[in-house]
Amino acid sequence: MDWQGQKLANILMQIILVVSTITAFGIGYSIGSFQMMMFTYAGGVVLTALITVPNWQFFNHHHLKWLDPSEAERHPMPQLNDAAVAAPKKKATKIK
Amino acid sequence: MHSFGYRANAVVTFAVTILAVMCGMASLSDNFNSPSPTADVKVLNINWFQKQPNGNDEVSLTLNISADLSSLFTWNAKQVFVFVAAEYETPQNALNQVSLWDGIIQSKEHAKFWIHTTNKYRFTDQGNNLRGKDFNLTLHWHIMPKTGKMFADKIVMTGYSLPEEYR
Repeated sequence: MDWQGQKLANILMQIILVVSTITAFGIGYSIGSFQMMMFTYAGGVVLTALITVPNWQFFNHHHLKWLDPSEAERHPMPQLNDAAVAAPKKKATKIK
Repeated sequence: MHSFGYRANAVVTFAVTILAVMCGMASLSDNFNSPSPTADVKVLNINWFQKQPNGNDEVSLTLNISADLSSLFTWNAKQVFVFVAAEYETPQNALNQVSLWDGIIQSKEHAKFWIHTTNKYRFTDQGNNLRGKDFNLTLHWHIMPKTGKMFADKIVMTGYSLPEEYR
């Protein structure tokens, strides 16, 4: 997830859980069933987990901008046809 | 919120905290209930009344206990524990309370009841003070909640007395 996505996930989690609590308590108190309150709340928690925990695409709309590889360009990889430059080094390490 | 495990942990922790708050609210809602229970206990018979070998008086009673405790049941009530106790005064003890019968009521439907029974637990004195003794019968109840605070109260019924002589 990118930064905006993480913030969105956090806010969504808090809002959906609090709304689940209020709904669950309202339903439970009005019909007088403790069990219904618990089931409604459990459903709300599962819904929250399904929405905020997996890395959905809508959490990745603000792509992270990594820095240009300017540092890497200052130290290029050695080319393979410089065998003459590499050979003396190799000779020095050979076991005789 | 940068990894799956971090987000899962956050959801579970917050959900459990909010659950604790919700249970607190459920317990608080019990305070809005104003119960109006009724009870009546009749002593139908004194079966026997003797002095035990250890010097203590003991009496066996047949009771008819009838009560309507349905207004005690709220949505947050798990069960109601009810017991009947005999209360009286002796020269040694300012207050004696002896539990004679108890029961558990698990639903509102069973809360309006009557029962015809001998005393479930022995009515024994610490001494031999029971002859001619006047006593009260109290019906106590404890409303055990599903979550939160337990409420307890009683109804006192006066006017009972034991015979002057052993039988």
